[in-house]
Amino acid sequence: MVTKNQKHVNTNPESEPNLKGTLISVSILGAILLVTWIGALMLFLLR
Amino acid sequence: MHLHKYEKYWLGAGIVGLIVFLIILGFGAFYLGTHPQSHGEIIDPENIEANDAFKPENRGLTKVDEGRYVLNIVASAFNYDLGTDESGAPIKNIEIPAGSKVLVQATTPDVIHGLNFAGTNINMMVEPGYVSTMEVELNNPGEYTLVCNEYCGVGHHLMYGSLEVVE
Repeated sequence: MVTKNQKHVNTNPESEPNLKGTLISVSILGAILLVTWIGALMLFLLR
Repeated sequence: MHLHKYEKYWLGAGIVGLIVFLIILGFGAFYLGTHPQSHGEIIDPENIEANDAFKPENRGLTKVDEGRYVLNIVASAFNYDLGTDESGAPIKNIEIPAGSKVLVQATTPDVIHGLNFAGTNINMMVEPGYVSTMEVELNNPGEYTLVCNEYCGVGHHLMYGSLEVVE
């Protein structure tokens, strides 16, 4: 008999990993890259 | 192959970024004609005066039209030749009115030098055997120091001059 608790037990080892933290950290890195690229472009255009 | 939803987002951003960069590169190279400063105009480093731009009387700043100037510079160990004034003394400070378009042409008879008016977009390598060329519009008044930013020898730090962009 399946109880309410057993429904939440992860029985499939190949299920989706949680990559939310990874997405947030690479997005922060991406934002830093964008800011530096735009900064260099603005320096070139304003000088 | 199974990809996580977030991995697809990030791969998509990477591919879009690559395409954007290739478009910018193609636009700059083929439409705007952007190229390295020493892009193939060659000169005999033993006889740079064979090129009119680097004859002693043509060195330094020359006004060619209203708001248009040519600046010919010979960089050598360890000096920038910016021409001479009426009394024959070497010029170390150049004055250009703001808003002018300046074509900078430089070469060297000896080793690789840098040519950078710090704070402007004029920044290039000067290589023996090549003429480095760059056209810029100087809009921001101020004083800019000319420095060598390629280590060229023991007197590297003695290579300097200045550029004044005046209102």
